[in-house]
Amino acid sequence: MTARRWKSKAGTRAGASCALLLLAACSGRQSALDPAGEDAETLALMFTVMVTAAAILWLCLNGLFFYVTRVSPRRMSRKLANGLVIGGGILMPLVLIGALLAWGLSILPDHDQPGDGLVIRVQGEQWWWRVAYETPEGDVISANEIRMPVGERVSFVLDSHRVIHSFWIPSLGGKMDMFPGRQTNLSLRADEAGIYRGQCAEFCGASHAWMAFEVEAMEPDAFDAWLAAEAAPAGPPDGGAEAIGRQIFAREGCGGCHEIRGTEFQGQVGPDLTHVGSRHSLGAGRLGARLEDFSTWIAHTDDLKPGVEMPPFDHLPQEELTALAAYLKGLQ
Amino acid sequence: MTDGKDAEKHEFREESESLWRIAFAPAIWAIHFVVCYAWVSLVCVKFGGDPAVMRVSLLAISAVALAAIAWLGWRAFRQWNVRDTGDFTNPEGEAEDRHEFLGHAAFLLAIISAIGVIYVSMPLIIIEGCR
Repeated sequence: MTARRWKSKAGTRAGASCALLLLAACSGRQSALDPAGEDAETLALMFTVMVTAAAILWLCLNGLFFYVTRVSPRRMSRKLANGLVIGGGILMPLVLIGALLAWGLSILPDHDQPGDGLVIRVQGEQWWWRVAYETPEGDVISANEIRMPVGERVSFVLDSHRVIHSFWIPSLGGKMDMFPGRQTNLSLRADEAGIYRGQCAEFCGASHAWMAFEVEAMEPDAFDAWLAAEAAPAGPPDGGAEAIGRQIFAREGCGGCHEIRGTEFQGQVGPDLTHVGSRHSLGAGRLGARLEDFSTWIAHTDDLKPGVEMPPFDHLPQEELTALAAYLKGLQ
Repeated sequence: MTDGKDAEKHEFREESESLWRIAFAPAIWAIHFVVCYAWVSLVCVKFGGDPAVMRVSLLAISAVALAAIAWLGWRAFRQWNVRDTGDFTNPEGEAEDRHEFLGHAAFLLAIISAIGVIYVSMPLIIIEGCR
């Protein structure tokens, strides 16, 4: 193998691995290019077609330009020159862009098509999400996480407390703004079970980037079981550390802001914590949900989420933080 | 002598008018855009928000805008006078050339404006309601 051939092979290999890396960046649980729902499929198709058409248009226009200025730069009749400019420079883009616009509009998903029954209300807060599942027995209140049944179109009713947010689950569909004092609607259908990530998509203050949530698309039976469990009040603390944690929760006044249904803690300012131990993340997608994440979050809220209303409890000794974490993690 | 001056003045007046006229078609495009937005809000808030009413009235507004642009374009095309003179670019700096050049520019702007109005109107066909 000659040096030159080897070089070109290495170049090809490097190029191919770069392309693979780029493609790998398209997958993941928060990627509009890795759709897991009906609307996201349509949007991904639209993106692919638009990018391809843009590339074709770019190549044709610049190819024509390159041909007449570099490859074959000869005199041409005024008629031919005008034809090339009008045909290649005006008519071709006009028709192509017009066709793309018409096609794009025709397949654009209807963000407000009727759902299959389940209605989830989500209210944007700075910087977390108030969530309520509407059921015949009344609302089931949760926060910072959304669970939905696979294969069912779910209606989201959105609004906001103080500033404009935007509700976006890239794997499932397009985004929808949330306005204070005004209701917006979005309907989404997940086609594949899995855990996805949603993100606030409208700048809403210092910790906008930390305003996220986990979305779990579950099989319908599992979802029904989960919703029944979520509707139930919190169970009593199980074991010594948890009981101590509950006392600290009461002593520190946590219940003034947080509700834990089935207890005397009835605060409405912050997220509902009735079943916080069963969630996949803490602090609206800020941390994971391991035991140590709970104590880290409680002690360092303002470092983790600048501007957040919850004060840091870093004055508490580590064993009290651990006990608090045990109590909250036990709220399954 | 006086006649010559009058003719010059007359010509100048006409030129300054057609200088205005080249902005008319893009102005209609801009006004059409604003009116479409304003009308959707009005229909939603004041007139019940029926999508069919909205669609038909918006398309009527677009048709009026396109007709006005077409008329302006036709006038500009005649001012350009390319069919009689065969002169595409009017490179001489004489009054007649300026006159025809302004027609040429206004004609091209009318075409762009018509395309703009058509592209703005396309989403109006699929409008479904106020939310």
